[in-house]
Amino acid sequence: MNIELTDLTRRFGRNQAVAGVTLEAGPGVFGLLGPNGAGKTSLLRMLATVIPPTSGRMLLLGRDPRSYERRREIRRRLGYLPQNLGYYPSFTVVEFVEYFALLKDMPPGRVPVAVAAAVERVDLGGKARAKLRTLSGGMLRRVGIAQAIVNDPELLLLDEPTAGLDPEQRVRFRALLRDLGQHATVVVSTHLVEDVGAACTEVALMDAGRIVFHGTPAELTARGAADGAGDSPLERGYTATLASARMTGTRS
Amino acid sequence: MSGPDALPDPAPDLVPDPAPDLGRVWLGVVAQVWRREPGRLERLAARLLRSPALARALLTTPSLLVPWLIATVVVLGVGAGVSLGTGQPMVALLAPAVTAAAIAYAYGPAVDPAWELSCSMAVSDRMVLLVRVLAVFAVNAGLGLLASAVSGEAASVTFGWLVPMTAMCALALAVATLARSAIAGAMAGMTGWMITVLSVRVTSGQFSAALTRTALVLPYLAITVACTAVAVFASRIPTGGSG
Amino acid sequence: MDDDDMLIARLAAGDDTALRELFARHAPWLAARLRAVLPISDVEDVLQETFIAVWRGAGSYRPESAAGGWLWGIARRQAALLLRRRGPALAVLLEHAGPGDAAAGDASDAVAVRTDLERAVAALGATERTAWRLVCEQDRPVTEVADLMGVPPGTVKSRVHRARRMLRATLGGAR
Repeated sequence: MNIELTDLTRRFGRNQAVAGVTLEAGPGVFGLLGPNGAGKTSLLRMLATVIPPTSGRMLLLGRDPRSYERRREIRRRLGYLPQNLGYYPSFTVVEFVEYFALLKDMPPGRVPVAVAAAVERVDLGGKARAKLRTLSGGMLRRVGIAQAIVNDPELLLLDEPTAGLDPEQRVRFRALLRDLGQHATVVVSTHLVEDVGAACTEVALMDAGRIVFHGTPAELTARGAADGAGDSPLERGYTATLASARMTGTRS
Repeated sequence: MSGPDALPDPAPDLVPDPAPDLGRVWLGVVAQVWRREPGRLERLAARLLRSPALARALLTTPSLLVPWLIATVVVLGVGAGVSLGTGQPMVALLAPAVTAAAIAYAYGPAVDPAWELSCSMAVSDRMVLLVRVLAVFAVNAGLGLLASAVSGEAASVTFGWLVPMTAMCALALAVATLARSAIAGAMAGMTGWMITVLSVRVTSGQFSAALTRTALVLPYLAITVACTAVAVFASRIPTGGSG
Repeated sequence: MDDDDMLIARLAAGDDTALRELFARHAPWLAARLRAVLPISDVEDVLQETFIAVWRGAGSYRPESAAGGWLWGIARRQAALLLRRRGPALAVLLEHAGPGDAAAGDASDAVAVRTDLERAVAALGATERTAWRLVCEQDRPVTEVADLMGVPPGTVKSRVHRARRMLRATLGGAR
């Protein structure tokens, strides 16, 4: 198990962003669905060791991130793409990816090939030496994905990774996810239901800081009513589950 | 191959070799074509800090970039000129303010657009902050001392401003990390210094008293310690909204 | 569709995207020619060094000469450098690979080299041939071969040396 969470909570002042999440995840692609404000980003930030949990237990890659040394070990094996990733405009694509490869404590000898591989994997080979300020939004997102995968992470956390990508790029990205999910635990937080259906082996649905569904995409689809709201069977399952969770206030 | 004792058949029925992995070759090629060769300064910094990551982070500090350094030299140079002309210890009065601003722009969420990402790095953001702050301080102290020497200020004044400078830098850093804004930190540092100098002048009639009064050393040190503690605490947890 | 001259000119101007096209076009046949004279892992290394050298030396290309020949020239030089590091005896095989300014697509040359080499190896004595195949063609470490053949490593090495000498004599004479 790469992720083991027990009753994890996160509070910001009076706002309970994450209200008790218990989860386990091994290798594979794990989708995190939910409306805005559901707590997905806060959960992801805790998994990325950017913020500590308010309470509860968390083991990442078998280690407790509360200790400095273990946290460092986790971070070396981690890849994170935040929802809003800023860029250094004067850096080139390669410089940006290389900078974060170094900050992840990658052995310097391995960095050039790893950076080249990451850049090629996100199809930015033709823009490798272009300055970031010259790139479109979708390309910048792909740069973000490249820095997240450069160290071949065992735990990959992607917050809205397909924002700004056109449909063809999204398809290629899902293929990349499937590749990465062979050996690593990939957590994709998104509000785009079709991304989840195509690439994820497991799905969790979050609402108001809790997990209201955890299972396979097929199981989520099965909860949908034929006449329910939603353009696709998975979407109908999504809205149905959300509605019933809100009505009953229970977790599945 | 027949049985463990037999030699591999030396007849020319070599297993057909796999084709060369052109994909791997290509990656090896572009790794060299695309890589950025670190300059001499960066290589030296990497050896000193024992970390190429910290070296890179250091040399991309906004207030260590050439335009900023040039501006600092100009300001201090003007100060030195004024000192020579009027006898007022301008360099000593300017240096703390200039350095405080530089420190505020060394790091911080407002200056680092990829702040959130930096907080998930193995080389911690606080390590980067520490290295940058120390480097900026050292560089500015060096430039200040040079300007002081050139302007012929009294020795007590030449070194006297290092302690208040430390205090103002700590103040600037604390405000910058608390407010998550470099400009707030810079303003705080410069304003704090201005207030100190003016209020000391009011009580003692001299501008340079802010630098030479030994009674002030303790308050300066207290400010330094308090503000450093604030900065350390404030840089620990990035706040975030909901969602 | 840029022709080779234009691609190399773009390379000389610092446009690294032209390298991709050049690589796609020329790496396969260069790899095939190199394969005739080098073991597989060396082919990849030499190919890599070749294209890095192409990137760095694009400025020295004269459009009058054929791109293929220029590329093969660089590849030969890189291969020679690698072989020289390994041992002077192996370099003789490369010299036998054909005149340096042969035009591109001279696959027949490569085949001819391979055939000559195979014939020469087949003509070796059994122990020398086995040692040669295992050490030089299959790239096994000397200690492993010594285990397989049931002889000390020193014996394996001297057998390989003898094989080299004989091949050199055979192939040198055939030139």
